[in-house]
Amino acid sequence: MTVPRQQQAGAGAETGSPLLEVTGLTKRFGGLVAVNSVSFSVGRSEVVGLIGPNGAGKSTIVKLIMGILRPDKGSIRFRGRELRGMAPWNIVNLGVAGTFQNTRPFRRLPIIANVMVPCLAPRARRRGEWVKRIEVKARDALEFAGISDLALEPAYQLSHGELKRLEIARAVATEPQLLILDEPFGGLNPSESDLLAKSIRRLHRGGRFGRLHSEGMAMIIIDHKLSYLLRIVDRVLVMNFGQIIASGTPDEVVLDSDVIEAYLGKEEMA
Amino acid sequence: MLGNLLVSTLMSASVYAMLAVGFSLTFGVARIINLAHTAFYMVASYIIFTATMKMGLPLYVGVVAAVSLVVLLAMVTYKVLVDPMREHETTVLILTIGVALVLQELMFLWFGGYFRSVPTAVEGFTTLLGVRVSYQYVLTICVLIVTLALVWLLLMKTRLGLAIRATAQDREIANVMGMSDSRTATITVGIAAALAAIAGAIVAPLFIIEPRIWLSPLTVVLAISVLGGLGSLKGSILGAVIIALSENLVVFLVPQGAFFKGAFSLLIMIVVLLIRPEGLYGVAFEEER
Repeated sequence: MTVPRQQQAGAGAETGSPLLEVTGLTKRFGGLVAVNSVSFSVGRSEVVGLIGPNGAGKSTIVKLIMGILRPDKGSIRFRGRELRGMAPWNIVNLGVAGTFQNTRPFRRLPIIANVMVPCLAPRARRRGEWVKRIEVKARDALEFAGISDLALEPAYQLSHGELKRLEIARAVATEPQLLILDEPFGGLNPSESDLLAKSIRRLHRGGRFGRLHSEGMAMIIIDHKLSYLLRIVDRVLVMNFGQIIASGTPDEVVLDSDVIEAYLGKEEMA
Repeated sequence: MLGNLLVSTLMSASVYAMLAVGFSLTFGVARIINLAHTAFYMVASYIIFTATMKMGLPLYVGVVAAVSLVVLLAMVTYKVLVDPMREHETTVLILTIGVALVLQELMFLWFGGYFRSVPTAVEGFTTLLGVRVSYQYVLTICVLIVTLALVWLLLMKTRLGLAIRATAQDREIANVMGMSDSRTATITVGIAAALAAIAGAIVAPLFIIEPRIWLSPLTVVLAISVLGGLGSLKGSILGAVIIALSENLVVFLVPQGAFFKGAFSLLIMIVVLLIRPEGLYGVAFEEER
């Protein structure tokens, strides 16, 4: 049974099969089922929003995909390859990059060095690139995120909004095919959020940003700020109690009664 | 007399700094307190002895052999013994002291407990600050200082150095940035072993070689690490200078109390632990740029 499936996945990888396919993903923390048999897929150059109340299991899904947590059950296939059991660095090198809810820079390294670190990943690295070349590339990523003027500051001096942008610069620096953003708008003021929303759309449209390039990067975006999120995404998945309770276009989801009950009713529409 | 003090302090400080920097790197990146660190230094001396005295090879061949074999030994030990049980810190600590004792016993077995020595690379003397200093002494100090400078350049200016510094700061995040943490750790262990081997190889002609020569440098390295702050490179170098200076001062001021110098570094360690347990440079791996 395994063999034909792999063949199918291998052949499908080149054609229309989804970029990321999650099936039956389950994660328990003691008695709590944080993620309960979740299945979904993300197509090539599709932008998917993942929303839901606090504790619905959204961030756990990100950590499972990135290999930080090990799933109890289920499979995660990226371009037909099983990610389950791989180390995070391995997953990053296959073309998945993520930012996390809590920003964690290398505090004592300057901003530019923070972004140079992911440029060292085998995926982003070209042979014989010396530090100077990597620095230029890291600067392009900072330019893209809009914080290139802070390149030489140590990371501990950044504001929260700047740290969020640094996270995005670091994720983009590996030139991923799938970018996972966990609460990119969290704690940002409206003008910062607008800027970030623009950057994300620009990134999705693709093209060259100096030495970095993207071709319709697929994304999974988690956020509570629905007014920004719903403008960016093609499709929304709604989670509650570790399960996906609804999925559809932003317009459909907003009208879904389950969703209103589980989520929108309690949260103000920003 | 003052010149004498300065020259001998410089000598011990550079040897200690070489050992302490490797020890700190290993702790910073691989998160191991490697009590076998100075045993690598001892093994390197024996490889030099075998190459020059037993096989009649020139000294530089011995140095190259010592460094490459010790690096290989350290990396294999790390991969096979330490990495699989990395999460159990106490086990790793006991394991490293076990490795050191095994290496010591192997040397007893193969070479016996005799005091050995190897020929110097250069003959002759020069006068420095009014002190007669052998060329071998000058050569040793120069090699050690140049090596330390090269390590600093490696850490600050190369891709590998950046990878090492990033992994030392936050292993998990480095991992999520696409960097294999276990690969970086293995390379760092190799670099640290190379530093210990170079130190062992270059000072071999000046000191006697016997299977227990790893013990007293180990206590000194531990004292330096406590003084400078575990994992801090700046602290390791400063700590090495302070300990070397105080050791030599003891010998200089109380020549009859020379046997006391080993205890003196331990005394410093105890005082630091009582007054400022985090050492001169705090808890974490120090960054400078």
